[in-house]
Amino acid sequence: MTVIELRSVVKFYHDTIALNSCSLKVEQGDRLVILGASGCGKTTLLRLIAGFIAPDSGAVFLNGKKVSENKTILLPPEKRNVGMVFQDLALWPHLTVEGNLAFGLKAQGINKTEQKLRIRRMLELVGLHGFEKRKPAELSGGQQQRVALARALILQPEVLLMDEPLSGLDYDLNVRLRSEVVHLQEKLGFTLLYVTHDREEAFSIARTVVILEHGHLKFKGDVAQAKRLLQL
Amino acid sequence: MQKRAFLIGTTAILIVIGLLPVISMLVKSVFQNGHFTLSAYHGLLGSARQWVLIKHSFTLAALVTAFTTVIGVPLGILLGKTDFPLRKLFLFLFVIPLLLPPYVTAVSWFDLLGREGLLAPLLGSTLTQHIGRWLFGLPGCTFVLFSVFLPIPVILTVAFLHTINPRLEEAARSAAGWGRVLKEITLPLIFPAILLSALLVFLLTFGEFGVPNYLRYAVYPVESFTRFSAFYNFKAATAAAMPMAAITLLALIFESAFLREGTYQLQPLPEGAQRMKIHLYRFRSGVVISTTLLLLMIVIVPLLSLIIKSGGFAVYLQAINKAGESLIRSVSYAAIGATLLSILGFFSGYLIRIRAFKFWRSLDSLTLFLFALPGTVIGIGLIRLWNTPRTNFIYATPLIILLGYLAKYTALTSRISVTQLAHIPSSMEEAAQMTGASWLRRMIFIIAPLAKRGLMAAWLVGYIFSLRDTSITMLVYPAGHDTLPVRIFTLMANGSPELIAALCVILIAATLVPATLISLLPLFKRQEVWL
Repeated sequence: MTVIELRSVVKFYHDTIALNSCSLKVEQGDRLVILGASGCGKTTLLRLIAGFIAPDSGAVFLNGKKVSENKTILLPPEKRNVGMVFQDLALWPHLTVEGNLAFGLKAQGINKTEQKLRIRRMLELVGLHGFEKRKPAELSGGQQQRVALARALILQPEVLLMDEPLSGLDYDLNVRLRSEVVHLQEKLGFTLLYVTHDREEAFSIARTVVILEHGHLKFKGDVAQAKRLLQL
Repeated sequence: MQKRAFLIGTTAILIVIGLLPVISMLVKSVFQNGHFTLSAYHGLLGSARQWVLIKHSFTLAALVTAFTTVIGVPLGILLGKTDFPLRKLFLFLFVIPLLLPPYVTAVSWFDLLGREGLLAPLLGSTLTQHIGRWLFGLPGCTFVLFSVFLPIPVILTVAFLHTINPRLEEAARSAAGWGRVLKEITLPLIFPAILLSALLVFLLTFGEFGVPNYLRYAVYPVESFTRFSAFYNFKAATAAAMPMAAITLLALIFESAFLREGTYQLQPLPEGAQRMKIHLYRFRSGVVISTTLLLLMIVIVPLLSLIIKSGGFAVYLQAINKAGESLIRSVSYAAIGATLLSILGFFSGYLIRIRAFKFWRSLDSLTLFLFALPGTVIGIGLIRLWNTPRTNFIYATPLIILLGYLAKYTALTSRISVTQLAHIPSSMEEAAQMTGASWLRRMIFIIAPLAKRGLMAAWLVGYIFSLRDTSITMLVYPAGHDTLPVRIFTLMANGSPELIAALCVILIAATLVPATLISLLPLFKRQEVWL
């Protein structure tokens, strides 16, 4: 079943074209990695799906429902059941780990007992049990990544968007977290859209690879096909 | 929807409290008994005195702008970019005159150099008379307003120097000495700040009422105030105010066309980025001595003269008896005004920062226009608009003073908010939005806490400027609701110089004590690490 669909999406920033007539379908439960160089439109694609921006032309569908088209956002981000891990993580520095996770639960009107339960479970899942009262600045880089992931997943999104979340980490930690992301996706079953410019990272996470070049979708296929195309 | 309603509400408030009074004033000045007439303007333009006023206003504004720019920019470079010792202390001391009603500085110089001044016995009667002629006129006004507005180019230069990417200077330093780097790299990069400060100084001097009135130099704001308060001639006062509004508007069109993008593009460097510093080496002692002398001359000596002139405890007791209630009112109105200014400035700053509407630039221009507009113009406009039986609950209460503060000073709190919000990555709000939090909830629990340093700074600036306000409050205050700056101003006519000096010292304390306490809060020292 198709969860995300982009139909002939075009997006400009002033005179620069960021996405040029992009069409893409993402199946439920897939781990799709968008691979491309800096400035090729990867982040724009995620922000279109998240609902922060609207396409200048074309349309975006979620579960067959049109959510934005032709400069209009039809469904706001908070109603799309989509989670996102940002490149800069965007952890709220004035809130504790617990506060960061509880924020969305409170907004959804979930009672305190349920909030505590969900936070505990989620922190256990990402290996951060006992870190509830820490502020983001008191955590290591890897722990911060896990909090960002936990915050995005705690609302049980159908789709998780990850915008180069591991780019600032050292190699060993990067490799370890990749496998944790894969493990979480398999365990929870959400659809993952992961953006990176790093081929190795892409191939270690992806089930499906999309190559984006200068705003064009150049390729979509499995890892083996992508490797052949890139002559790896 | 909630976001839209709030931001439209913010815009509507700014239009009602700021723009509507000015428009209402303009409309009423061209209608008499329901008929259109330009008689008030004919009378104004036909009089030879008007051309003298225009000449005086322009000369004063141009001289003050030239002096503050020529001295303020190098002083800003010295305090912002070199290894000058105790730079923060010097910067704070240089800023003090800007925090006070400008006429306080004029009073302090009169207390020092006037006929009965502290230096009169030393100078002798002939020299005192000569200095008196110099003080009461263009040179005196220029000197006093130079010392009052000097902090503007200094602060803007320091602030903009901190936005320069050090790589640009490092690349230049590898090929040239600091002299060339400053001339060809640094100064061109901060040129928008230099022009902006010159424009602000020009407009603030052009609209200044207290100092020229005290030092008896006829300029437009004094004329407008006199027509209104002495002759109660609304039409003539309005007609005299309109050229000031027109000049302010022209200056802001210039700012909008040539400067604004330049100033928006400059953003503070991230924490931890190393700025390049100029070492003064063998020039250090000479530079320190000359800067200290300048500080003594334009800040310390006038303040000391006020303290010495005020005499002993008995005078302060008398001052509290005479104006204690005005002091309490001043502090209360300033605190309420600052709170409202912080809230309005926050929403307005947010609207401008995210460019929420197509008219965001117009809103920014409107706040700046109102800030640069002489207080007398805003005051007359407020009276014109709200002096009706139905709106007496505004006109006859301190609400009208608060509206004046909001109209005049929202530009300051709004710009502080824009700067603070620029530090907050948009992903912070987006992450909250993804969770389904309403816009108001995101503002209250995410953005406002992240912007708390900016909000606090906005409150402080709002408090200081509301407390020092004279020109608007003087015109609009309802009976029994005068503030301390107004009380001092009215007491000048018949109060003893000692009493006036004591009241000025109390006003300085009321400004500086809360400002110093708030700036010492840990909140101002701690910088959040944003991830």
